[in-house]
Amino acid sequence: MEMNPMHQFEVYRIGPEIKLGGVNLSFTNASLFMTISSITILLLLFFGTKKKSLIPSKLQLVTEMSYTFIAKMINDTAGPSAKPFFPLIFTLFMFVLFCNMVGMVPYSFTVTSHIIVTFMLAASIFVGVTIIGFIKHGFKYLELFVPKGVPILLLPLIIVIELISYLSRPVSLSVRLFANMMAGHTMLKVFGGFVISLGLLGGWLPLGFSVALTGLEILIAFLQAYVFAILTCIYLNDALNLSH
Amino acid sequence: MKNIKEISTRLEIAKKNLKKNKAKNNSSNAASLGKALKISTELVAAVVVGSTIGFILDNWFDTKPWLTIVFFFMGATAGILNVIKSAKKMQKNFRK
Repeated sequence: MEMNPMHQFEVYRIGPEIKLGGVNLSFTNASLFMTISSITILLLLFFGTKKKSLIPSKLQLVTEMSYTFIAKMINDTAGPSAKPFFPLIFTLFMFVLFCNMVGMVPYSFTVTSHIIVTFMLAASIFVGVTIIGFIKHGFKYLELFVPKGVPILLLPLIIVIELISYLSRPVSLSVRLFANMMAGHTMLKVFGGFVISLGLLGGWLPLGFSVALTGLEILIAFLQAYVFAILTCIYLNDALNLSH
Repeated sequence: MKNIKEISTRLEIAKKNLKKNKAKNNSSNAASLGKALKISTELVAAVVVGSTIGFILDNWFDTKPWLTIVFFFMGATAGILNVIKSAKKMQKNFRK
């Protein structure tokens, strides 16, 4: 019986080892589960939009609901000028959501519980949003770091602080998702271990906890995908509509 | 034809129920939980980023502990600033 609660986060190679110029490009279980979640999204959207009936089937309803959910979120947080970025945010939301949800299936692997995955997502958003800001506003985008009405004497200090605050965005975005997923899955495993070690007599209490925690984890899985998408919208809003 | 009529009445009832529910709880629980999770990491992230910048600069200029200390406090300030900013944004959305 495997009792180590961190064992579930181990990344291992599946199939042959592929090395390209000293970089290890082997297919791992992480890549497998990313592929599984991407294919699940594609299948859902393909079959959900295949038969466009007036009275939607359940599958079509799910697809339409996810579309309106994201469209409304973008409109509320970033305004109509962010409409062209709908595909990006929809893809991000669906990918994070499905990675989280696929991770909730027993014996599967949670891709988003690895900081390198979430940090790459957050860092690419950060770089992309910064580039969009510079394209849209030119060097006026740097005004983001200079709040209005600050005495000249304090300006160097404020600029450094605002810069740190700006740079902390991808870190907080990635750490939030990674920490929530990892903590949740570790906790589930620990309570599962209690059930085994306490046996038939005392195992019922942790079993109840496990069931409750699974429900909580599903809520968190959805919530973190939502927060990830909404924060991307907020950063996009800062870049598109320069305001303080 | 009968099928569509039945569905439209059912839709009407569902819409009414939705309106009733919406009036009951304006801000859903899940959204507030999301906000709480958001604020907690914002404070920590800025401190980490600030300290890391200080550490890297220290290695560059050979001024071990000083710049790390200075940038740690700057990071803490930036973190508090982040929290205040997002709290203000939430308040604005709440009043709207």
